[in-house]
Amino acid sequence: MPDAADGTGAGRRAGENRVRARLERYVLPAVAVGTVALLLVVFYYPVATVFVDSVLVEGQATLSVFVSILTDPFYVGDLAGLAAGESPLAVLGDLLSADRRLGVVGFTAYQAALSSVASVVLGLPAAYLLARYEFPGRRTLRSLTILPFVLPSIMVAVGFVATFGQSGTLNAVLGALGLGAVDLLFTLEAVIIAHAFYNAPLVARVTTAAWESVDASAVETARSLGASPRRAFLDVVAPQLYPSVLMGAALTFVFTFGTFPIVLALGGFQLATVEVFVYQLLRDFEYAEAAALAIVELVISLGLLYAYLRYEARHSARSRGIRPLPRRPLRPPSRSLGDLLPRAGLAAYGVVALTVFVAPIASMVYASVSGPDGLTLAHYEFLVRRQATAAAFQVTPWDAVRNSLAFGVGSLMLALPMGVVVAVLTTREYRGRKLVDAVGMAPLAVSSIVVGIGLLRGLVFGVEIGGTRLAVGGAVAIVAAHAVSGYPFVVRTVAPGLESVDQSLVESARALGAPRARVLTDVELPLVWPAVVAGAAFAFAISVGEFSATVVLATGTDQFTMPVAIERFIGRRLGPATAMGVVLLVVTAGSFVVIDRLGGAEGGF
Amino acid sequence: MASETPAVALDGVTRRYGDTTALKGVSLSVREGEFFTLVGPSGCGKTTTLRLLAGFETPTHGTVRFDGESVAGVPPEARDVGVVFQNYALFPHMSVGENVAYGLRFTDPPGGVSRDERVSTLLELVDLAGAEERDPDTLSGGQQQRVAMARALAPGPDLLLLDEPMSALDAKLRERLRVQVREIQRELGITTVYVTHDQEEALAVSDRVAVVRDGHIEQVGTPREIYREPATRFVASFIGDNNVLSGEVTDVGVGADGPAATVDVGGESLGVGLDSRDGVAVGDRLTFCLRPERLSLSGGETTLSATVTSTEFLGETTRAHLDWGGETLRLRTTDPPDGDVVVGFDPADAHVVAVER
Repeated sequence: MPDAADGTGAGRRAGENRVRARLERYVLPAVAVGTVALLLVVFYYPVATVFVDSVLVEGQATLSVFVSILTDPFYVGDLAGLAAGESPLAVLGDLLSADRRLGVVGFTAYQAALSSVASVVLGLPAAYLLARYEFPGRRTLRSLTILPFVLPSIMVAVGFVATFGQSGTLNAVLGALGLGAVDLLFTLEAVIIAHAFYNAPLVARVTTAAWESVDASAVETARSLGASPRRAFLDVVAPQLYPSVLMGAALTFVFTFGTFPIVLALGGFQLATVEVFVYQLLRDFEYAEAAALAIVELVISLGLLYAYLRYEARHSARSRGIRPLPRRPLRPPSRSLGDLLPRAGLAAYGVVALTVFVAPIASMVYASVSGPDGLTLAHYEFLVRRQATAAAFQVTPWDAVRNSLAFGVGSLMLALPMGVVVAVLTTREYRGRKLVDAVGMAPLAVSSIVVGIGLLRGLVFGVEIGGTRLAVGGAVAIVAAHAVSGYPFVVRTVAPGLESVDQSLVESARALGAPRARVLTDVELPLVWPAVVAGAAFAFAISVGEFSATVVLATGTDQFTMPVAIERFIGRRLGPATAMGVVLLVVTAGSFVVIDRLGGAEGGF
Repeated sequence: MASETPAVALDGVTRRYGDTTALKGVSLSVREGEFFTLVGPSGCGKTTTLRLLAGFETPTHGTVRFDGESVAGVPPEARDVGVVFQNYALFPHMSVGENVAYGLRFTDPPGGVSRDERVSTLLELVDLAGAEERDPDTLSGGQQQRVAMARALAPGPDLLLLDEPMSALDAKLRERLRVQVREIQRELGITTVYVTHDQEEALAVSDRVAVVRDGHIEQVGTPREIYREPATRFVASFIGDNNVLSGEVTDVGVGADGPAATVDVGGESLGVGLDSRDGVAVGDRLTFCLRPERLSLSGGETTLSATVTSTEFLGETTRAHLDWGGETLRLRTTDPPDGDVVVGFDPADAHVVAVER
């Protein structure tokens, strides 16, 4: 049944269709190539520059910088003994002794491990609550677990100072209860609680998802075969949760291993992690040592991430058509011990959760409107006054807000198409997919400080190509750095959606004449629209809250953003810092709402 | 017929996935306007064949030709095929009308009509006139199947590919829809390749049927040929109900209806009709099949004594399982038998499927 292209109009149209179809066939590859090019320029090239910096000393290729780091007890603690020829057993003995020295790298790993444990401990009860109980606001609470992740870390640090500081809310409450004051600031505990604030919700999210995908009929089968509820949980449910818990812990470790703003603001230099030292070395213009240390950090993070991805690949089983376990009402149905005990546990957990998750934000808001004489708007007035009277070297609040918004929009425009294309590329089956996945996801593991240094040294200072000096402006570099740190989140939200789109929908559209790019825009993206919107919100929020790369790139320029402004205030004036933090909170939350509305999504994430 | 270029042809097509081979050098051709069915057990390679035609898969070896031309490298969107999947794959975010019109975004409606006219014509064709505004989710399974059909046909494809389009529906609806699908296919005269695991469906709707097993084609023929003259033991037992027996040839001669052999099965001599005397000699091992409805309780040229072990009431007929010296025989009859029976058959109704020297 050949198509009769009888009329000339129809013939011309068919011709146009053919041309358009041919163009559309190359849209996806073109955006993919663009993404790769951008990644090369603003990520791989700068990171490579850092690497070169670390092995080139006065024009000579050398590993001496690495060697000196890896043998310096200051960095690697007692492990340095290995290089000095001590026996491994003696080193192990040193490490187990009371006066062990961990060194900066060891301490970084130690605090990351503690943070992972704390996050799992704090996250699991939340997963249990969200997965197994029904109560008003459950869905909202579930959505809110994403929030800490996108809250700017410097703002969280302000919140923590306002809560756990000498004159913070915690001490006010303890004082009112007639208990002695505690000072958690600049202690390991504060850092770990702050890390748990960020990562426990992540653990809760992934575990809840796994719990919800446990098929009730599997549990019922175990019960009918004679297993008690406890055995059924241990034999059927728990094995399906382990991978997610491990995933949450592994990601927490990777994230907290590269922690920077939290430690900078809450730990001070006596608790410095690798990343903080990199930053410090950088400020002292010790580029080679900073770069080498950053590489050591990178190798450890990437190694962990790789191990985790291997594990995930082996354990990802997709379940379909399952009937989830029924949820229990949160209000106890009877006064029996079996009904009351778990709920009492959850209530106790609720108090802890309120202290860790809600108090910092609430304290920050409260601190921003309170002074020695009660409620006041003085801190906000200070910001307005500073705008008018700032000296050249001081940050002006309004410019910080404006810069943050502009960079946010710019990096959103970049990160969204990048993320969508990488999501498309990583959800198809082809040879080399794993490599694309790894290359595309690397920015998650590489510290923003490294990217920042690389951009600064490689692109902002300029590159000599054929006698011409090419340099990009600080603003462009900041937007690029933000897009690079934001787009993996677009990938991570969009890819699972794309993966769940029925392949036969795609194939039907292809058979109906749609080129691959059109299938994406006509069928796949509309179906995963909520995920795209969520990805966009992520990209924007990450940009607005990004601190590490920005502080590197914005130092000495007028490209500072709100987080940078907060960091400038936090050392000297907590009040204006909290006021600025509230502004940042409002902008971040507002952007989520606006993007959600613009996207017209019902569900969001 | 040999001079006519087939609308669709597979030429020595092999498809491997890692270590498994889904198709092993398959060759077949489909004529213009034909309703061609691929039938076989699940995992036999019939769906792979369909996906190769649609362009979703590429052959590891061999060539797929449309109208004599290789389509290697032609993407699915440029093949002018319509595909209906088992789950219909309606776009959930589009209305029925938008679904049907989707293919018209990339080509003009055939016959110079407007898009809207084309959509309403197609919906009328599948008995869903006026359903344009409806949401696919609100339709029943049968209605969704028809929308998928209309959507596949809207751009006026040269080839219609149907991948088990009925298997998610209940039996009654399936029977009604297959008649409708067949009528639409005749009306449009569109070359159609249909994939099913249901042999009854294959016999009911097809011009020709290919029985696929384990990555290769066992037999291609009209439904009657496939049913009456199965070429292999597998086809004999896969298509319809059958008794497959084998034994040694003790005599070859000419019976009342032409050439026939006498075969010793478990000590009893049975007459088996032959197409010709060539190729069968005394001492050969002969495998033949005998349809249950050809076994008669009222005797026949060849008779044997057996015992009824169980019966199944199937409505218009009853199926009896007989024990005949250790062999199980199946018999279809209208009146249920019981106890020891003598059954007979006409040697011409026995069909040889294999001869071994």
